[in-house]
Amino acid sequence: MDSIAIVGLDCAFPGAPGSDAYWDLLMRGGDAVGDIPEQRWNPRDYASQEPGAVHSEMTRGGFIDDADAFDNDFFSVAPREAAAMDPQHRLLLQCAWRALEDSGRAPGALAGTDAGVFVGVMGGEWGRLRMGDHTEITPQLGAGSSAGMTANRISYHLNLTGPSLAVDTACSSSLVAVHLAANALLSGECDTALAGGVNLVLSPALGIVYTQLGLASSDGRCRPFSADADGIARSDGVGLVVLRRTADALADGQRIYAVIRGTAVNQDGRSNGVTAPNRWSQQKVVEAAYRRAGVTPEQVSFIEAHGTGTVLGDAIECAALGTVHGVERAEPCAIGSVKGNLGHTEGAAGIAGLIKAALALHHRIVPASRFADRENPQLRLAERGLRLLKSPLRLPPGEAVAGVSSFGMGGTNAHAVLATAPRTRNKAVGSGVRRDTAAGAAGVFTLTGDTPEALRRNLADQAEAVAKRPRGEAAALCWSSNRIKTGLPFRFALTARDTAELAAGLRQAAGQDLPGGVAHRPWSRPVVAFLFTGQGSQFPAMTAGLHRDSAVYRHFLDEADAALAPHTGGSVRDLILGGEQRIHETGTAQPALFAVGYALARTLTELGVQPAAVLGHSIGEYPAAVLAGVLSLDEAARLVAVRGALMQELPAGGGMLAVNASPADLRSLLDDEPQVGLGAVNGPADVVLSGAVKALERIAEILRSRGVRTRAVPVSHAFHSPLMAPALSRFAETAGTVAAAPPQVPLASTRYGRMLRDEPMDGAYWTGQAAEPVLFSSALGALNEALAPTHLIEIGPKPQLLPLAGRAGLRGDIEFLHPAPGAEASGRDLAELVAALYRAGLDPEWDALYAPRQRTAERLRPYVFSDRHRFWNRPAEPSEQTARSPKAAVRPGEPVLSLGPPAALPAEFAEPADAPPARLDALSQERDPVLAAVVEAVAEVGGYPLEQVVASARFYEDLGFDSVMIMQLKDRIEARLSSAGEISVQQLLPALRSVGSLAEFLTECVSVRTP
Amino acid sequence: MTGTTAYLASTGTALPGAPVDNSTLGKLLSVSEEWIDIFVGTRTRHFAWDLATGEVHQSLTDLCAEAGDLAIAGAGLDASDIEFLVLATATPDTLLPTTAARVADRLGLNYLPAYQLQAGCSGAVQAIDLGRSLIAGGCGAGLVIGGDVTNRHLDLRRDLSRMPTEELVNYVLFGDGAGAAVLTAEPAGERVALRGVLNRFAGLGRPPGQIIDWYGITDRHTERQMISEDYKEIEESVPVMAVEILWDLLGLLDWGIGDLDFLLPPQLSTRMTQRIVEHLAVPGAREISCVSDTGNTGNALPFQQIERLLPELRVGQRALTIAVESSKWIKTGLALEKV
Repeated sequence: MDSIAIVGLDCAFPGAPGSDAYWDLLMRGGDAVGDIPEQRWNPRDYASQEPGAVHSEMTRGGFIDDADAFDNDFFSVAPREAAAMDPQHRLLLQCAWRALEDSGRAPGALAGTDAGVFVGVMGGEWGRLRMGDHTEITPQLGAGSSAGMTANRISYHLNLTGPSLAVDTACSSSLVAVHLAANALLSGECDTALAGGVNLVLSPALGIVYTQLGLASSDGRCRPFSADADGIARSDGVGLVVLRRTADALADGQRIYAVIRGTAVNQDGRSNGVTAPNRWSQQKVVEAAYRRAGVTPEQVSFIEAHGTGTVLGDAIECAALGTVHGVERAEPCAIGSVKGNLGHTEGAAGIAGLIKAALALHHRIVPASRFADRENPQLRLAERGLRLLKSPLRLPPGEAVAGVSSFGMGGTNAHAVLATAPRTRNKAVGSGVRRDTAAGAAGVFTLTGDTPEALRRNLADQAEAVAKRPRGEAAALCWSSNRIKTGLPFRFALTARDTAELAAGLRQAAGQDLPGGVAHRPWSRPVVAFLFTGQGSQFPAMTAGLHRDSAVYRHFLDEADAALAPHTGGSVRDLILGGEQRIHETGTAQPALFAVGYALARTLTELGVQPAAVLGHSIGEYPAAVLAGVLSLDEAARLVAVRGALMQELPAGGGMLAVNASPADLRSLLDDEPQVGLGAVNGPADVVLSGAVKALERIAEILRSRGVRTRAVPVSHAFHSPLMAPALSRFAETAGTVAAAPPQVPLASTRYGRMLRDEPMDGAYWTGQAAEPVLFSSALGALNEALAPTHLIEIGPKPQLLPLAGRAGLRGDIEFLHPAPGAEASGRDLAELVAALYRAGLDPEWDALYAPRQRTAERLRPYVFSDRHRFWNRPAEPSEQTARSPKAAVRPGEPVLSLGPPAALPAEFAEPADAPPARLDALSQERDPVLAAVVEAVAEVGGYPLEQVVASARFYEDLGFDSVMIMQLKDRIEARLSSAGEISVQQLLPALRSVGSLAEFLTECVSVRTP
Repeated sequence: MTGTTAYLASTGTALPGAPVDNSTLGKLLSVSEEWIDIFVGTRTRHFAWDLATGEVHQSLTDLCAEAGDLAIAGAGLDASDIEFLVLATATPDTLLPTTAARVADRLGLNYLPAYQLQAGCSGAVQAIDLGRSLIAGGCGAGLVIGGDVTNRHLDLRRDLSRMPTEELVNYVLFGDGAGAAVLTAEPAGERVALRGVLNRFAGLGRPPGQIIDWYGITDRHTERQMISEDYKEIEESVPVMAVEILWDLLGLLDWGIGDLDFLLPPQLSTRMTQRIVEHLAVPGAREISCVSDTGNTGNALPFQQIERLLPELRVGQRALTIAVESSKWIKTGLALEKV
């Protein structure tokens, strides 16, 4: 049998709100048993042993904290529906999200896949408690009480389309669910499976049954295999594992806690009573699992036993295990049961054992079994090749194999064989690890939440976790966060080099009062324009820091270098990185800037930053044309090399002069100097004159006398001037053969000073481009008008165009970014740019930011849900205590939602005014009776507090409405707005985008009928 | 020698903050840069505390955990593979819990022996020696760490102008740092066999060459020098002892002096190391030193040297590490061979 990898897990058990806490509880030998919470029932009601009284021995048990907490807004579940849902459904939803995160992927990444959900659940106490009064039944309660919905809700909310089923085999349910999930994976029914179980002790009923059967523990503790074992204690629990076929998990680089080598399920058949355990069947199920796993008993290091701590159950289980394991072996097989810590989690018992075994194999330590110190001698464990774990067992090096047993009251037995995960990191990294640390390969740590507050809550949690780690490279953590912690509306991104810096940054962000600094809610994707820089921006060793840090940049610089090499007669890359002063010579500068521009732009596109438009200044128009698909890299490289070489051959005596004046101001001066022309118009008052140096000096003198600022541009020749003429005729010969395609990306031509239309960028274009002025200012203006970019990114070795753009008075709120802003620039600047675009709504191709070695899965703590909303209903059981609980004052059937401060978002996060759907503010609600009626109806149907039903709230995404709720809404609206007349569902549906859109629609209905 | 060979699979090192050069340090100490160059020779060192305020940025635990984490990753292992931890230091963060236990906690190690050795320049070899025994006793892999910090023994806020020269020297001699290595029972990672380990106390009847003192609640107000050295004795004895260690190990392994490809000499200071290397006279071996860049980091030194050695060491090549602890005269050495 191929093995199944456990790649993620999450759980909540008594005294252990998550898997870390669970492991801690196990290693401490902790006791999670406590009193029955007031919320559940009053044990004194069942204390009487008088004849005729309903009696339960169960006075204590294992109860999870916060069983009533549910982040309904996160899952877009209306409060009314949340309150009608079995809390087991709610716990599972959150557990599923966290387990999937633990598997190293954002849960959203599985949406639409065939992932399966297999949930073990026993009985239906919620339904019995809530559906008893038939007058209180609602559709929500119907769905909320269904056991099958435990699995189906996970599939629905996460959009998983594989098998989805609930399993009830009593106490073996969750291990049987794992068995079914493993088989579904092996048969190819799904590629990922969530499997586990849930159990909440909601009513005293089963405790009464155990009492009647004589199986109830006197003090609420299970004592597995102990001389003091006296019965079962009931406990809460929820746990899910994420399963993959091991080959898939390894191929995807997922962390593996342990592998499931084989599972088996069987039945007692017609045994000694339907509820009695059966030794022979237990023995057979273990043997069958070993056969499927291909292991022999002496290979098995430890077994997480069923171990309920009933005298008969323990004896039968040990007899069965003894028959299998009492073989010749070096060490006895260790046994234990987590029920000693938790009590019996029934429907979640199998998954509690499985997660314990998986964590034990992961940590290579098996926790001690609580109450093992008073081992029951009648079990004769030593004779049977067994040993009860009285202290933790460190597993020896090499593969270790473990078994997990779970048996159901009705005789359905399950066993799973687990083994340590295959080594994935056995290729030693060597001692070179820290070399890159010093170089500072920066990553971007991302985190998202459904509200700013959620983001802050999770920032604090991640900060704490990162701070506990030893200092080291942060890149793998960052990469993992990009894979896992993305996809929710509010975004956070932080560039970090090492874990100490990351922890400090997260802590600081979490502590900020104004979440606006850290939480970004993009409403659309950024519109990015690339501005390619021209000559003058080059300098020795430009982009060397980025070259050191970014493998992708290295790759594309090599590509440009290879394209230029046949024409430049040497490596431009080596010349750039070698720090040579020759870079300033025109024949070198132009190919070098072309190479850098091409490599930077391709690095960005590789990162998923696709320009909506490109613009190139002078020589920068060549890489821009390559990016736009006009020229091939090779063709462009050839032209650039020839262009540079020809221009360098021109006689000296040409120069350029930057002038803070408008072209019109200079008109008369230029008319007097035929050897000087406009080289570039960079802005309304940013002009560069080009021509003979002597003539430029004369002009400069005159301008100075007028108080106009001028600056000689450090260039060797008068580019874009009449002095270029001798080179141009020869260039035209070379350029004449160039193949030019229409641009695939809108291109703003700096030759024409506008967006390129149908004109070809052929040889004639490029020849003219070299002679005529660079109309940067008007080209940028046209680009801005045509595409309204949100971000301008300068492509070059230092900021040269961005300051010009900043003075250009562009319309709109435009952010300027630079991937390599100067001599000190490094991979960190590139990371900062990606982080900025991520905050603005881009979903980058994160992999390109990291070296392959850094793309390793690190465990991140799973999402921390809000526990602000609480849903609980007092069961309809006789109780004198009812009045004591404030929550009990609510009429049965009403959603009991206790809210903290209103969940309304701070104004800065509200949807912008121009974003669809149109926003109606609170003021208009006051004035608008239709809107007010809609809000009231929605609040009533969903059970929402009024302040949460804002006009922009969307029915499906934000308010969790479904067809049932829509029917209820229609009734309530008709009742409230009789003036709107009868409205069919078909009429209503198109208007059900948001509360506001529905109100608008209804307003029309009202006005039509009341002229 | 035991029957089982242990192997060094990887190293990891941690040096806090940016290197502090002699010009910076000279200004703070009001001594000439030239004096440091001539008499100590060390160029840079690192401090885990703020030179101006004394504020501690990183504890010894932080540095040792960083080095240990790198070593475990470098060996391609997980924390759960590590079966013992040995940490050597003269400057633990607290007396209890031990820094060894704190580091184990930071690295996610549990249910394993976590020894702490109180040692100086001999500590790294002592830790490796103990690790080798634990491997011989059946362990598959373990982590050995050495490190020291100076924040309790150097104080730049004091009036340094009145400080005697022999005390002032300490300020330019030492640095903070940690180093670690993973030892394995089977060749793994870097595959460097520990062919021989020498670890001998040799100070019977000899006065200490170095004293590093500490205060307690009863004597915290007494004025005394917290670090003191008998430089004359150290200058005379260490080269002689280093030669003895060299020949001791060669004899133990039946190696000739010509068999050595690399020599990792004691790292007291750049000048002393130069003198010792001359004295050792192993012409065929390349010297691997770190003290010029790291300063004397005490228990971390041999790990820092071995980390520099590993990229150079080819299969079949041999290296010898020599460390002398002058406090009460402890002779230590390691013989390494890449397999």
